[in-house]
Amino acid sequence: MLLRNVRNIFSEAALSFPLSRRGLVLGASATALSACVGGGDKFINVYTARHYDADRALYAAFQEATGIEIRALTGSAEQLLERMKAEGDQTEADVFISADAGNLWKVKDAGLFQNVTTPTLQEKVPEHLRDPDGAFWGFTKRARIIVYRKDAVRPEEVATMDALGTARFRSQIVMRSSSNVYQLSTLAARIERLGAENARAWAAAVRGNFAHDPQGSDTDQIKAVAAGEAQASVCNHYYYFRMVRSEDPADRAVVEKVGFVFPDQAGAGTHINISGGGVTAHAKRRDLGVQFLEYLVSDEAQTMLAPLNTEFPIRPEIAPAPDLAAAGAFKEENIPLDALGRHQAEAARIFEEVGWS
Amino acid sequence: MSLAATPSRTNAPRLDGVAIAAGLATLICAAPAIAVLALALTQNAHAEFGAALIANGAIGTMTLVLAGGAGAVVFGAVAAWLVTLCNFPGRSIFEWALAIPLAAPSYILAYAYASMTWAGGSPIPVNGVWGAAFIYAVGLYPYVYLAARAAFASQSACALEAARMLGASPLRVFWRVALPLARPGIAAGAALACMEIAADYGAAQHFGLTTLSTAVFRAWYAHGEPGVALQISGVLLVAAMLFLFIERSARGRASYAGGSSRWRPLPRYTLNVAASMLAVGFCVALILFGALLPLLWLARLAVLHADVQDIARPFMNSIVFSTIGTIVTLALAAAIAVAARRASSWGKTPLFAAGMGYAAPGAVIALGALSLFGLAREAGWVSGLGAGLSLAALFWTYAARFSAAGVGPIDAGLARLSKGLDASARTLGAGSWRRFAAIDLPIAAPSLAAAALILFVEILKELPATLILRPFNFDTLAIKAYSYASDERLLDAAAPSLLVFLAGLAPIIILARNIERGRAGAHS
Repeated sequence: MLLRNVRNIFSEAALSFPLSRRGLVLGASATALSACVGGGDKFINVYTARHYDADRALYAAFQEATGIEIRALTGSAEQLLERMKAEGDQTEADVFISADAGNLWKVKDAGLFQNVTTPTLQEKVPEHLRDPDGAFWGFTKRARIIVYRKDAVRPEEVATMDALGTARFRSQIVMRSSSNVYQLSTLAARIERLGAENARAWAAAVRGNFAHDPQGSDTDQIKAVAAGEAQASVCNHYYYFRMVRSEDPADRAVVEKVGFVFPDQAGAGTHINISGGGVTAHAKRRDLGVQFLEYLVSDEAQTMLAPLNTEFPIRPEIAPAPDLAAAGAFKEENIPLDALGRHQAEAARIFEEVGWS
Repeated sequence: MSLAATPSRTNAPRLDGVAIAAGLATLICAAPAIAVLALALTQNAHAEFGAALIANGAIGTMTLVLAGGAGAVVFGAVAAWLVTLCNFPGRSIFEWALAIPLAAPSYILAYAYASMTWAGGSPIPVNGVWGAAFIYAVGLYPYVYLAARAAFASQSACALEAARMLGASPLRVFWRVALPLARPGIAAGAALACMEIAADYGAAQHFGLTTLSTAVFRAWYAHGEPGVALQISGVLLVAAMLFLFIERSARGRASYAGGSSRWRPLPRYTLNVAASMLAVGFCVALILFGALLPLLWLARLAVLHADVQDIARPFMNSIVFSTIGTIVTLALAAAIAVAARRASSWGKTPLFAAGMGYAAPGAVIALGALSLFGLAREAGWVSGLGAGLSLAALFWTYAARFSAAGVGPIDAGLARLSKGLDASARTLGAGSWRRFAAIDLPIAAPSLAAAALILFVEILKELPATLILRPFNFDTLAIKAYSYASDERLLDAAAPSLLVFLAGLAPIIILARNIERGRAGAHS
């Protein structure tokens, strides 16, 4: 009864507002609704945890090139996954996109991706930036960098992640909360390379150097370092570069005081993570979904994303934005990407145990 | 409790149309919260970190509720006393302007203050636990203010005059007469503020705090343990019932705490110059910190960011969503309030049941709705979350989350209805629906309007449930603001954040301006 009322109310309201679109076809029954959403046009439904304007430009370009419309539902990866679980085989989602490999692995682990392998994808996406089974494929990558205050730290003092746990930086480190997925993935990668004990010791040592309890975003860590609350921190590279490019002079003033390094160049390489996507297990438009994944790694999309966003293209042969290119090439950590997901829960437990909130 | 427990009441419950509607409404509003509780109880608690998370979260939530709640109570009660019982320049403007912070969601205040603090633009550094407590205090004091103002305004002028004639100083009258008489109202407002604090996720998360709300998401996202997340949600729901109990019992006492239905102008103290300046400074500071300062900061950011965003459509979506959500929730809340008022003690159960959702994070209630949906799908009753169903689920979640915010004012409005009126109508043979339409509805009409305004603003600000349950290609202002802010782009988030606030401003001002009219015999 409620459902019908809600629908009736909504259709009346929607009729009186010039808002209607195919997604809100009026007055039809729910089942008829999902059936007629297609309306003959070609489209795919995408659940995406990325909220960037660059993505919208990309969807428009894809539609331009192929005539296929992208209908996006943004949200946090975990919530979108929960929705997809509840929807089961009735889900509307054809493609699932997240900005972290750990979250993509959760979707795979829940059995909600299907393995897709095409020559194009295999040729274009480097092996360490995709799921071994083809459940998800990267299309951009980001590096976990160390930021430091230029007037207090020499770059060689922060050449490794291990340095952040040494006595040199007692009470001089700020970090983001361990509930953040990038933080979890960084530790998960360490667990994969060096084992849980090493990871725990590192987390405990860095925790011991905290200037204060974790708070705020990646950007806030950069600001805290600039403000002198601490001498060094860790963040994703594109937050740093976004501040460099910011329209807010206050942001640019902050980032003036802060330098960065790609850590562990002499060792295992800098931790990297991907934005990636896969075709959902119950996709109604599998082929169109595959076409979209292939488009994401095409020359057109990769060159388009590079200047719009401050991420690195997934394909090494595509040049990143000029300011990123100026930062120089760097050695990447090379581990199977699904490790970020496999060790995520353990990473969370370690953080919890060493008191890194 | 059995029905036989209350045989002496004249208006013992009967199964009539209104009762059935109320039962259905309660069931609809309580179902997601009950689903979460049921799921919480059936999870096997194997994860040992769950207990630690709950303990840490409980400490964090309690600290914030105590610190933020105390601040809100002091600010709200003093402000209410000043504008109701004192005369000073600008009083009539402050009377409604003090409610303005209600339009600013805590998460947006947190974004703005954090950004201001880093840039050195904030007069006081706002971060950590005390930063969050500060934001709750200056952002949520209007709940206490509005409730306390209504309580002060309804006080008997005679009691206050008697105290004055006996030579009590203004402060003494405040402490010894006005404040004790208004205590139930203040407690009711405080309970609402505390529920908001317990349910808040955005601000606490932004300041990196461990509270029950953030622990829910830590368990769910970081540990990948939705089961533990549900258990923590269960604890939050129980806390919600506790707050609700406080609020209900406070309201119960309010109804005979020296109120007067005869009207005479309240005797107001005229403050001297120094005291006036203090009073003006206090009120200005509250509005400044609770709304103006952070919003001016956001405006500055929005101006810096010259790009014209696609804001018109999310704006319309927000208005349409909030309007429909308000209508649905209001209808359910009215049914619950009317039935609870008519029924005997067992009838209060719906108030509790419907109120649980108010202190739980929206995402948890949405999770409950999703799990019920999943069950219905497995049973073959519904198919996928197409546009229609996803909207239905969303409005259902709004009702489950906010019906308490609607039931409260309606119930308070109905409290003015003398029981004799209903009984007389009954004696004269008026049926259930007739009494509802001819007595309850007209009497509750002003409260219904107030409830509608509150609901509109609450739904406008709502974030997590909308995020999970909305259909494809459908963004509201709050979603826009969140998307940008979560991507650490405050410049882009500034414009939609400002619009969320501005869209909520008009209803809040209308609401605040109308409270004075609610006083018996008042006309203006």
